[in-house]
Amino acid sequence: MDILIAGVGGQGTILVSKILAGAALLAGGRVRTGETIGMSQRGGCVVSHVRTGPVSSPYIPPGGADLLLALELCEGARHLPRLKTGGAAVVSTARLEPVTAALGQEAYEEKAMRAYIAARPRARFIPAGETARALGSEKAANIVLLGAAFAWGLLTMDEESLLASLAQNTPPAFAALNRAAWRAGAEAARNAADDREVTG
Amino acid sequence: MTLQNISFMEKPSKQILLGNEAIALGAIAAGARLVAGYPGTPSTEVLQTVAARNTDGAIHVEWSTNEKAALEVAAGAAWSGARAMAVMKQVGLNVAADPLMSLVYLGVRGGLVIVVADDPGPISSQTEQDTRFFAAFANAPALDPSCPEEAYAMALQAFDLSERYGLPVILRPTTKVCHASAAVDLSAERRPFAPGRFERSARWVIFPPLSYRRHGEIKAQQAQIGEEFSVSEFNRLEGDGPLGIAAGGVTYAILRDALMARSGAADWPAALAASALSVLKVGAVFPPPKALYRRFLSRARRVLVLEELAPVIEEQLLALKGAENLTAVVAGKLSGFVAPNGELLLEQVARYAETFLSPPPVTAAATAPEPPVAVTAPEPEPAPVWPRRSPVLCAGCPHRASFYAVKKATRGQRAVFCGDIGCYTLGNAAPLDMTDTCLCMGAGLTVAQGVKTADPQALVFAFIGDGTFFASGMTGLLNAAHNRADINIMILDNSTTAMTGHQSHPGLGRTVMGEETVKIDAAAVARALGAGFVERADPFDLPAAMDAARRAASHPGLSVVIFTAPCSGLFRPTQLCRAEKCSGCMLCVREIGCPALRIAAGVVEVNAALCHGCGLCARVCPSGRLRLEARA
Ligand code: SF4
Ligand code: SF4
Repeated sequence: MDILIAGVGGQGTILVSKILAGAALLAGGRVRTGETIGMSQRGGCVVSHVRTGPVSSPYIPPGGADLLLALELCEGARHLPRLKTGGAAVVSTARLEPVTAALGQEAYEEKAMRAYIAARPRARFIPAGETARALGSEKAANIVLLGAAFAWGLLTMDEESLLASLAQNTPPAFAALNRAAWRAGAEAARNAADDREVTG
Repeated sequence: MTLQNISFMEKPSKQILLGNEAIALGAIAAGARLVAGYPGTPSTEVLQTVAARNTDGAIHVEWSTNEKAALEVAAGAAWSGARAMAVMKQVGLNVAADPLMSLVYLGVRGGLVIVVADDPGPISSQTEQDTRFFAAFANAPALDPSCPEEAYAMALQAFDLSERYGLPVILRPTTKVCHASAAVDLSAERRPFAPGRFERSARWVIFPPLSYRRHGEIKAQQAQIGEEFSVSEFNRLEGDGPLGIAAGGVTYAILRDALMARSGAADWPAALAASALSVLKVGAVFPPPKALYRRFLSRARRVLVLEELAPVIEEQLLALKGAENLTAVVAGKLSGFVAPNGELLLEQVARYAETFLSPPPVTAAATAPEPPVAVTAPEPEPAPVWPRRSPVLCAGCPHRASFYAVKKATRGQRAVFCGDIGCYTLGNAAPLDMTDTCLCMGAGLTVAQGVKTADPQALVFAFIGDGTFFASGMTGLLNAAHNRADINIMILDNSTTAMTGHQSHPGLGRTVMGEETVKIDAAAVARALGAGFVERADPFDLPAAMDAARRAASHPGLSVVIFTAPCSGLFRPTQLCRAEKCSGCMLCVREIGCPALRIAAGVVEVNAALCHGCGLCARVCPSGRLRLEARA
């Protein structure tokens, strides 16, 4: 299974990738990841690749991802073509406008982005940023998203491995917050039922 | 049992590691006694991991002032019998080229491994240079891992190889290995340190007669090492088809996935069997494994070489073919079949392989450059274009304030702004637009001197960070003082090496091992190097910062302003900016471009999660509608 995680530098995409990889290993599977580390972390797009199964290389080709986890709306739209036909997406509705948009050089068209993403039958939105903020820290939005993806049945790893990996990869001081974020994400997903938009 | 232990209980020896972490742990297991390096993407995590895992402090780990210093420190340890490692990125090897070239002539006693990370793309580098090529130039054996697991194995074995031949060995991972992760088996026992003792010997003193003798010896050794590489576990000839593909480093791993996708096979052996190909995997690349190459070229009469950066394997194969009059046809970068620049991603590898393998096999195609066109997957329909998201200076970055102060102070004058390597290179972006040149580490200072000489009417500024100043800026400043250059050097002192993730440097008073050490004052250094005008200024005190820039500019001769304020990544903000009744003039957005400022319904809004409370926007707002308040 090929999972692509997309976000903006500082949103914690690499942590999501580490949690997924750790969970895959705990569950006894094979896993590889590929990360973006470097200059783009200064507010640029950051993409992590998580690949389970008998693959040799760490990066998912375009049109090859089974699942897209996007921590930001525009990044969700940007990376949607990397999904294979029939692939699933969980997209946070958080908007982080690039400076070029504020400068008026480019337009951040939220409606167009949402419509473009929603055209994929297996795409779902979640207000991960707001949910995390309500818990006390927007930084936990990545865990909210992960909890939702799990509750929607989109992750192949079992919950025990995922939570163990979450604990292994995050400082103990944030354990309670992260568990709460996981639960809040899962709950938002369950409440959404068939409604593809979680309005939070 | 803590959760921390679970992974060890179920998979006793496997851990998910980045390639860089795997190299670090390989070096620790190999008994490295000293690890010295200079940070640079994609190599940085190697040294950082050694430092983090060095819990008993037994290994001497240091961020050296630059790569030349790192390699020389490592050489000294290796001459004294200890195992040592130097770590840098590819352009860092340019800085360390001087010691490297001579070091191979002198050789080593304890194993010396030089980790040089290459960056195809390039993704965060100035060049697409190839360290395998550099290794051949310097006569140093080179290893090129295809995945994190192999990076670990190579790090372990590189020290043995180095000691067996008495030569420094280059381990050259690329970004897609450095920053990829996989489960690595860490069951190897840690080797105890070799006792260090420097034995006096003429072999450590380079003189022309010694160089002459060693040059001959090194070349003789290369034949031997090449034989060893022909049977190395890092090189492999798989399959026995009449068409061949040779792949170096990570491209081999990618080729496997491409051929699996092409054949629809469930694993690599099945994909190989279905492909009717001979596949040559090259990991131990210099000196060339000629015996293995010979077998490859006799088995496959038409071969494609897939490798990122320089056509190193391709040239090696062509040289062998020429020397031994072999008939094989070799396609690759030199033949124009493969693009000379950029990464080789799965989609490109698949496309090249498809074109190469597609019937009818055109014998001339390999030499007549024909752009590969066939695509395995149907092209996805063109996606809409979304706003670009280029990296920018962080919200609250002190560099933004420094650039802004200088920009305002020089408004209306013809000024040239020479930049340098670090976060502040991002000062080139709109709306600051404050970087006119950027060449390499420390070059802004010296380039500025040339600009000023040729264009005396211009006001010339050079911007350099504190870390870069200590690494490569001091000689440039000295040069300016000695040669009476009338330039203005703006040292952006944010108390860290920010770009690569906050490493220590000589100005900080603490080593990577956590020990306190002497703290070097950039102002005192500038004065000692001959600058007459040296001042510090707080960039967030905009009037004072502008004043300092103005006085520096009007000071005849060399002047230095040290803008001092910590990187916003070093502390948690205590303040937050709020916009109230914004008039919509957008001056703040147009002038400073802080990523925390956004426009909603025609007025400016502050993104509270991003704002670092630096107050720069509040200083810019002409109507006082942006105000700082304490964070809740
Ligand atoms: S990391 Fe520090 S120096 Fe770099 S852009 Fe951010 S605030 Fe500025
Ligand atoms: S105070 Fe203003 S300039 Fe500084 S980080 Fe906040 S929004 Fe950006």
